[in-house]
Amino acid sequence: MLHLLKTVSVAALLAGIAATASFAEENTAWRLFISDHGEPVVRALDAGSGRELGKFATKVPTSLARSDSGKTIFAVQGKGDIVQAISSGISIGDHGDHGDLKIEDAKLLDVEFAGKKPSHFVDHGGDIALFFDGEGVARTTSETDVLDGKADFRETKTDAPHHGLAVAFDGHVLLTEPNKEKPDELPVGIRVVDASGAQVGDVHSCPGLHGEAASGNILAIACAKGLLIVKSGDKEPSIEFLPYSETLPEGKTTTLVGGRGLQYFLGNYGPSAVVLIDSTSKEAFRRIELPTRRVHFAVDPVRPKFAYVFTEDGMIHQLDVVSGAITKSLPLTDPYSMDGHWSDPRPRIAVADDAIYVTDPLKSTLHVIDAKSFEKTKDISVEGKPFNIVAVGGSGETH
Amino acid sequence: MLKTIRLAALMSVITLTPFGLASAFAEPLKVVASFSVIEDFAKNVGGDRIEVTTIVGPDGDAHVYEPKPADAVAMSKADVVLVNGLHFEGFLQRLVEASATKATIVELTKGVEPIKMKEEFEEAEEGEAADGHAHHHGDTDPHAFQSIANAKIYVKNIAEAFCAADAAGCGAYKANADAYTQKLTETEGEVKAAIASIPESKRTIITSHDAFGYFEHEYGLTFLAPEGISTEAEPSAADVAALIRQVREDKASAVFVENITNTRLIEQIASETGLKVGGTLYSDALSFKGGPASTYIDMMRNNITTIKGAILGS
Repeated sequence: MLHLLKTVSVAALLAGIAATASFAEENTAWRLFISDHGEPVVRALDAGSGRELGKFATKVPTSLARSDSGKTIFAVQGKGDIVQAISSGISIGDHGDHGDLKIEDAKLLDVEFAGKKPSHFVDHGGDIALFFDGEGVARTTSETDVLDGKADFRETKTDAPHHGLAVAFDGHVLLTEPNKEKPDELPVGIRVVDASGAQVGDVHSCPGLHGEAASGNILAIACAKGLLIVKSGDKEPSIEFLPYSETLPEGKTTTLVGGRGLQYFLGNYGPSAVVLIDSTSKEAFRRIELPTRRVHFAVDPVRPKFAYVFTEDGMIHQLDVVSGAITKSLPLTDPYSMDGHWSDPRPRIAVADDAIYVTDPLKSTLHVIDAKSFEKTKDISVEGKPFNIVAVGGSGETH
Repeated sequence: MLKTIRLAALMSVITLTPFGLASAFAEPLKVVASFSVIEDFAKNVGGDRIEVTTIVGPDGDAHVYEPKPADAVAMSKADVVLVNGLHFEGFLQRLVEASATKATIVELTKGVEPIKMKEEFEEAEEGEAADGHAHHHGDTDPHAFQSIANAKIYVKNIAEAFCAADAAGCGAYKANADAYTQKLTETEGEVKAAIASIPESKRTIITSHDAFGYFEHEYGLTFLAPEGISTEAEPSAADVAALIRQVREDKASAVFVENITNTRLIEQIASETGLKVGGTLYSDALSFKGGPASTYIDMMRNNITTIKGAILGS
C-alpha cells in the first residue's frame, strides 16, 4: 500500500513543480469525476480544494466507471449508444517498494465505443469489457490501447440482446447467457469462451444474474440463489457456485462491490439490508440490517476496514467490515425516497484520500466527510444535479 | 450456625481457588502465524499452551495473498502475532490496521543476516526501467526460513515472544525450543550430506521463483528462476529465454515446479529444453496434512530428496 506522506498544494501541481523536480519527492493527488443527472457533462474536480479542473461534454447524461488503475474514466451512456473515455491525468506506476506519481491534465480521449445500450463496464487487470444490452454483444479492449487513442476491440456475441455483462478474464471472456425464452428477463448463466471464441465447458447456471465485482484475485457474480465465484485456473477460469446461506431470509443480491485491501464483497440483500460476503469463510454471508432503504454503497479503498452505505433517510453509515456492524451514522441530506424510478437523481458515494464525498443532486452540492472522524467538514457547490461520482488518485514519488 | 456458614464459605474458597487457577492456566495463548512454516515452528515451541490461527495456509502463496475480514478478526483477538518480516507478507500492514490489534507483532527474521535478491534480476529490472531511473523492488530476499540455520533463529525468537507473553510457560517454551532445535540440527546434517553427494558440476537447478537464495547461500546449490523473489511479477520473455539458453548450454541439471506457483512456466521451460520436471519443491508453504511436506522438517527432507533424486536420476 502506498503511504500518504505529504500533500502538495493544487497550485504546485498545476504549475508542474512536482513534475520538474530533479529529485524524488513524495506527493499525493486525488481527483473527482462527477456526471450530471440531466446534462451531458462530466466535471473533474481537485478533491482537496473542490476546484474544477475541467469539464467534458458527453453525448447524453452518463454513468461513470473508473478503471482499476485509475488512469481512465469511462462514460457509459446507455441512452446515447456510446461509451466515451476520459484520461484522469493521474497515474501511479507501481515499483514494489514505492510508486511513481505522474500528474497531467485530465482530457477527453479521442476514443469511442459505439453500440446499442451499453450497460456494464468491467475492468479486470487492464482488460476492459463493455457489454451492449441492445445487441447482446461484448466489446473487449485494453486500457493501454484506450489511453493510446486506439479504439480497437474484440467482439464476442451472445445469442440475443439482453441486460448482461462480460468480463475479460485470463485470456478468456465470461459472458452472460440470455434467457432464451424470455430475453427481456435477467440472464440465466455464464458462458466462458476462449481467445478463438470457442465455448469452454458448459454454461455455468446462474438464473436471475445481475451484479458483478472483483476483490483481489476473486470475481463474484450475483445470481438469484447465490453467487458464482470465479478464480484463475490452470488452463481456464475456475467457477464455483456459492449458495446463499440458509440463515439468510428470502432475498438476493443484485449489486456488488469488491473490497479493496481486504478481500470481501458487499452486496444489497433486499431493499433494507446489505450483506458482507467472504467466500472463503465458514460464515460466508453476514447480513446487516439498515434503518431504512438503501440508496448507494461504496467501499473505502484507503481504510480497508470500512465501507459506507447511504440510506433514503439522508443518512450515511460507516460499516465496519471486520465486525460486520454499523459503527457510526451521520445525517447528511434531506430524505431521498427509493419510491419512483430506479434511476431518479439520488446521492452517490466516492472515497478519495482521507475524505468521503457524497453527491446531493437536488441541492447541487457535494458533501465532504472526514473519513477518520466521520464528521462533515464542508460542502462544495456543483452546478446542476451532481450524480455519479468516481475518485482516482493516491500518492507516490515524483521525479 | 455461624461457624457452619464460615466453614462453608472457607470450603468454597478452597474448592474454587484451584479451579480458578487451573482455568487461568488452561486459557491458551492466542497466536496468529502469518503462514504455514511459522505455524509449524509455533506449534513445536508452544505445544498445547498455545492456540494457532494461520493466515496463509498449506500450499498458499503469501506474496499474493489477499487478507480476509476473518483474518482481521483473528488478529484482533491474538496475544502474539508471528510474521516473517523482510516484506514477505505484503498484506501485513493492511491487516494490522484493519484489525486494530494490540498484540505484539514479532518479526522472526530479527537476528537473521539478510541476503540481497539475485543480481541478475536487479540488472534486468534496471534495464527495464523505461522512465530513465532504476528501481529496486525491495531488494532483500525474505525467504530466510529456507536455511535451517535461520530456522533456529526463528525458533529462538518464537520462544522469547511466548515467554514475554506467558511468563508462566517460559520453561516449557524454552525446553520445547531446545528439543526442536536439536531436530533441526539433525535435519541440517542430512541436507548437507545429501548435497555433498551431488557432483559440483551438477549443482545448478531451476525453480519457478527465487525462493531458495538462503538455501543456496548456506548449502551450496545454485537455483535459477524465471520469477524474482516475489511471485507477483510475471517474468519477462527475456528472463525465460535466458534460462532456456542456460539449460541448453548444460548449465542446469534439473527443473522443478513449486507447490505455490502455477506450473505452466516450468512446464514450458522443460518442454523447450527436453529436461524432465524433477518433481515439486515446497518453497513458501507446507503441504496439507498427509502430504509429503506437512511439517518444516519434512519439507526440507522432501526438497533435498527430490533435488538429489532428479539430479542423480535415482
